[in-house]
Amino acid sequence: MTPSILSAENLTVESRLADGRRLSVLSGIGFALEAGKVLGLVGESGAGKSMVGRAIAQLLPPGFGVTGGSLTFGNRDLVHMGADARRELLGREIAFIPQEPLSALNPVMTIGAQFGEHLARIGTRSKTRRQGEALALLEAVHLPRASELLNQYPHELSGGMCQRVLIAMAFASRPKLVIADEPTTALDATIQARIIALMGEMREAYGAALIFITHDLRLAAKFCDEILVLYAGRAVEKGKARELLSAPLHPYTRCLQLAAPSLSAPERDLFTLSGEMPGLARLADLPGCRFAPRCPNVGEICRTQEPRLTPVTAPLGDDPGRKAACFRTEMTPGIETRSHAASSRYERSSPLLLLVEGLEKRYRSRRGLFANTELAAVDGVSFTVAENEFVGVVGESGSGKSTLAKLVIGLETPSAGRIELGGRDAFDRSEAARRRRVEVAQMVFQDPQSALNPRRRAASIVTQVLEAAAPRLSASARQRRAEELLAEVGLPAELGARYPSQLSGGQKQRVNIARALCATPKLLIADEIVSGLDVSVQAQLIALLRRLRHELSFALLFISHDLAVVRKLCERVLVMRHGKIVDQGLTEVVFGAPQHPYTRELLAASSE
Amino acid sequence: MGKRLARQDLAFLRSGRVIAGAILVGTVMICALFAPLLVPHDPQEQNLITTLVPPAWSAGGDPEFLLGTDSLGRDVLSRLLYGARVAMTVAILASLGAMLIGATLAHIAGYFGGKVDWVIGRAVDVWMSFPPVVLSLVLMTGLGAGISSVILAIVLVDWTRFCRVLRAEVLVTRRQDYVAAARLVGFGHWRTLTREILPATMPLLITLFSIEMGIAVIVEAILSFVGMSVGANQSAWGQMIADARQTIYESGWNLVLPMLAIFVTVLGFNLLGDGLRRSLDPRLMQAREL
Repeated sequence: MTPSILSAENLTVESRLADGRRLSVLSGIGFALEAGKVLGLVGESGAGKSMVGRAIAQLLPPGFGVTGGSLTFGNRDLVHMGADARRELLGREIAFIPQEPLSALNPVMTIGAQFGEHLARIGTRSKTRRQGEALALLEAVHLPRASELLNQYPHELSGGMCQRVLIAMAFASRPKLVIADEPTTALDATIQARIIALMGEMREAYGAALIFITHDLRLAAKFCDEILVLYAGRAVEKGKARELLSAPLHPYTRCLQLAAPSLSAPERDLFTLSGEMPGLARLADLPGCRFAPRCPNVGEICRTQEPRLTPVTAPLGDDPGRKAACFRTEMTPGIETRSHAASSRYERSSPLLLLVEGLEKRYRSRRGLFANTELAAVDGVSFTVAENEFVGVVGESGSGKSTLAKLVIGLETPSAGRIELGGRDAFDRSEAARRRRVEVAQMVFQDPQSALNPRRRAASIVTQVLEAAAPRLSASARQRRAEELLAEVGLPAELGARYPSQLSGGQKQRVNIARALCATPKLLIADEIVSGLDVSVQAQLIALLRRLRHELSFALLFISHDLAVVRKLCERVLVMRHGKIVDQGLTEVVFGAPQHPYTRELLAASSE
Repeated sequence: MGKRLARQDLAFLRSGRVIAGAILVGTVMICALFAPLLVPHDPQEQNLITTLVPPAWSAGGDPEFLLGTDSLGRDVLSRLLYGARVAMTVAILASLGAMLIGATLAHIAGYFGGKVDWVIGRAVDVWMSFPPVVLSLVLMTGLGAGISSVILAIVLVDWTRFCRVLRAEVLVTRRQDYVAAARLVGFGHWRTLTREILPATMPLLITLFSIEMGIAVIVEAILSFVGMSVGANQSAWGQMIADARQTIYESGWNLVLPMLAIFVTVLGFNLLGDGLRRSLDPRLMQAREL
């Protein structure tokens, strides 16, 4: 057996609460990573996957500490290592690739200066040699015009390029171990695929072991040798990547597998896992399996006893290292998606609701003192949306999708073109026309953090429409409407009294949707509303939109970079690139038999 | 907001700075409000037999004059208490006036942007390029002495501070999606400004107001020191300092006590302002939670 580069045994991280109680944040995490292998840590937000990376770097937040188990790098003990020794190790033998490439680079230093600084730290003395090494590394990560790049600042590069620079820096010291924490989450799908390929290439060239932290089970299965699935600070399943994805043994893994929309799999409903991952404070009330409250296969024993990660026989193939923490693994394959027939009221002959013709939005950007260049964010776009029709708009970032949404809803004024909403010209700037439009079109914003006023309670947010339309309405009538709306989006009425900061990401997005529904609009514009969310929450929201469509009847203009989600939800799709619609048609046709080369490229990048 | 204050809204009461500041400011306020009831003597009553009596605790002190008397035999304690009235009147009215003008223009500029913002921004620039002391002295010369002129001078000099700082805050809030969302659900400009933006800028507004009160106390002291504030028939702290200069070697206390009053009051306002900023600013609050 090859000796492992990094091994963790029963690693436990605890946090001390204000009242002196201790909460176990991570417990019983164990793995052994061999040289040149990739270990995937998979889980949704709150699972504790980043905490493992932080425990390795000893960068735990204040109040958190490793209280048990061991973490061995080569033959050195990482847990009890002194600060100086650790500093020697980090960046040299253990390197990191961060999640947000743009914020990981210093905005006031050139790429060359930062690269040089890093190389000087890891021991390259001579300045000319540093220059040469930096160039070689930037070429190794396939960055064009590397010598020019050294004099550029981070903001002059795209997110993908920044991430390549950081990957080059991470491998500069020929580390034995590289930890990549969600390295592609902030990037577009087409770039994501290339970055993943690049990381694989670099790993092979330099022979480093890699820990790949991600929320995307499918991505991990493609890229990793072994996967450890985490839930609420516990390792719930471990095994070889492909076997684990094709035949999960823990119900949570199975649910994750069924909740992720796919582009290739036959059309099926997404599995909606109820509830959310328990937060730190709630963990103390869960004496048994931490997944028990959400588990579809939960039994008596699960609520009182905590299952340990124990070896199980893999259903297919032979994987001696296969482990799962569940009492009832034999029942896991039985979890299937419930089919809820979400028929739509949309018919081909439905009357037209939104008509957009020759829409343009140009921004003037000033370069230098005199030269004005015009930038077309939206460039001659025409399309229609019929009543009750769900239309998806896909494209990479910078393709003009969000600008299009803002133009249609009236938050931006177009430079040219025509928009008709419900048979009326939408450019009527009068106050009365604006009031009327409230009932026709509403928007759900992308970032629930910024879209909900932190000083209003949820009940007040969802009934904001009434504040303007019926200011004399009694408080009790408003409260009733708020409860109705909260129920519609599947939230309990008592959440109405909470402030947005007291809600989880999924709950915030539901409140966000409920506010838009208050005026019972005919057209809902949703800008990337499921992008930042976990797979299981995303599946819940998709199910919610499908149910609401059945109950309330509205059309949806759904903007997303995620083709699989659009396929799940929309009848028709528009593909945007550089402000133009390059391809459009029925979803099955566009995605099933793509004609346009760009659509094909997008599909290839997001599928496999 | 409003009717039911949540616990998080009252969290600022737990801050030590806020409590200390509130106690200091509250004491001065009570002194000012109830000065006629608290004073042992008429502050203007001269008694040339008992001049320059030292405070009661030092040798030769008289318990009848707790903090001693000045060169005209007037009771220092009574004069200090009445001086607090002048200081507080100026602090409240001047800060209120500066806040109203500054905050209104800041919200208009930040919310509407474009040309309105440009005009208001340039006006503030031009206004701020005058040295404030010179500007207030010129204003005082033009307006004539008197407490209402002091208030007007402070308002006219200091509204720019509110405008500058608040405009930036309004701009940040304006870019939040919830403001756009409020417009989309049918809120007019007035309603958006008062219901969505004002609550977000309120913490900063309160903080600035508190700090401005401290500044106003100092400006009033300066102006009454040079004799441009209240007339000789009223007592003000600056005036007391000016009077005590002549007898500084005979009775240092006459100089120290009004200075101490100013010091304590300004410290109170600054502590209160700083504490409120720390506990009301959501960005600082988040930093603490992490």
